[in-house]
Amino acid sequence: MRRLLLALAFLLLMASTWIGLTRGQIDPVQRNILYVHVPNSVCALLCFVVVLVASIGYLATGGQTWDLVAAAAAEAGFVFATILNATGMIFSRAEWNVWWTPSPRLVTSAILWFLYAVYLILRVSLPDAQRRAARLCAVFGIVAFLDVPLVYISARFIPDIHRPNFSLDSAWQTAALMLGMAGTALLAAGLIWLRTSLLRDSRKLEQELLG
Amino acid sequence: MKDMWLGLRAILLKDIVVELRARQVLPTMVVLGMLIVFILRMASESAAAGAGVPVMGAAALWIAFLFSGLLAQERSFAAEQQNGCIDGLLLAPLDAGTIYLAKVAANIILLTIFEAVMVPLVLMAFRLHVAGWGRLAGVLLLGNLGISSVGTLFSAAVQLTRTRGALLSIVVLVLLLPMMIPASFALLVLFGALPENVVGSGSFAFVGSFRAAVAYLLAFDAVFSVACWLLFGVVVEE
Repeated sequence: MRRLLLALAFLLLMASTWIGLTRGQIDPVQRNILYVHVPNSVCALLCFVVVLVASIGYLATGGQTWDLVAAAAAEAGFVFATILNATGMIFSRAEWNVWWTPSPRLVTSAILWFLYAVYLILRVSLPDAQRRAARLCAVFGIVAFLDVPLVYISARFIPDIHRPNFSLDSAWQTAALMLGMAGTALLAAGLIWLRTSLLRDSRKLEQELLG
Repeated sequence: MKDMWLGLRAILLKDIVVELRARQVLPTMVVLGMLIVFILRMASESAAAGAGVPVMGAAALWIAFLFSGLLAQERSFAAEQQNGCIDGLLLAPLDAGTIYLAKVAANIILLTIFEAVMVPLVLMAFRLHVAGWGRLAGVLLLGNLGISSVGTLFSAAVQLTRTRGALLSIVVLVLLLPMMIPASFALLVLFGALPENVVGSGSFAFVGSFRAAVAYLLAFDAVFSVACWLLFGVVVEE
């Protein structure tokens, strides 16, 4: 089932790339990066929402699975946020001739990346299987999420160098983007699933070895 | 309500008395702050007289504020860890939120004293002129509130999980990152490095105006102090 999911994600991403490279090319060439950039930005935010929901779930129920899902989603989100920022910087250099500038969206994405980075450091530094440590991560996950909308809302309605409402000219371009979205979303789901079961197994193994 | 007030006052007074008698953290904070200001002053010295000085002044003030604030917050629960004082504190017939509020109040007082020492120093070192002392005090107080509310919650969390103290700094700094945008904007306006209203798409144009920056700081403080107050119980619960 999990393999199916990941295989499907791979197929969709290949299809998106193929259409993007053949029928759906955007002019000038650097704008083609949006087929990667936009799906990754959406999935980074989605993973952050999953971290929030799982953190709340853990605090409310105390179920181990919630904790593991939060950890897995943060790992996946970190990957997407890294790709988001990297592709954004490449595009920015090609289009505006600067690697980075403090425009609202770029600031938000950078903050998002930092939050994930600290969350992951927190995860690896805390003693495992300790209820308080897991709760600390959950609390951080919730408070960190409050950061994002605060910046996002304040920046949303203000003129920005970054254009959120790009226009797609042809159906091929829309198709490539939508396939990319679907593929990346499936990839995110697959990665979270995979990491959750891996983390569960490693935790179980640790407990058996220790006890 | 009366119990809460009594408990809050008792913990707050205890913290202040301990600090007055042992002088554990305030001298360290002030010296660290002075060192930061001194280093930034040296680093911003250039051939063109006064170049970039208001910008560095604002940076020096916030950096000194953040890092010395971390010292205060770390101590506020590290001190309770000795001799298991924390267990006694948590066993007291008090709401966890009350303990949190008392600790935040103690940290706000410490940071305010620190500010009163640092602000004149920064103004002298960077030769700054302030447009409106009342507004400067307001902006610094709002910053103080945000730093203390986030810092106190995670100081307790990091102490109780017995992890390395270095974690506290990255956790607190990353959560305060969004607040530093309007906070820097407001100070730069007050030091005359930016106009009251910034239009167009230049740097900081998205903050807009001094009023918007203050409104944003207020919103940040409101959201974060309430969230941290509510989550404190979760953090200390056994």
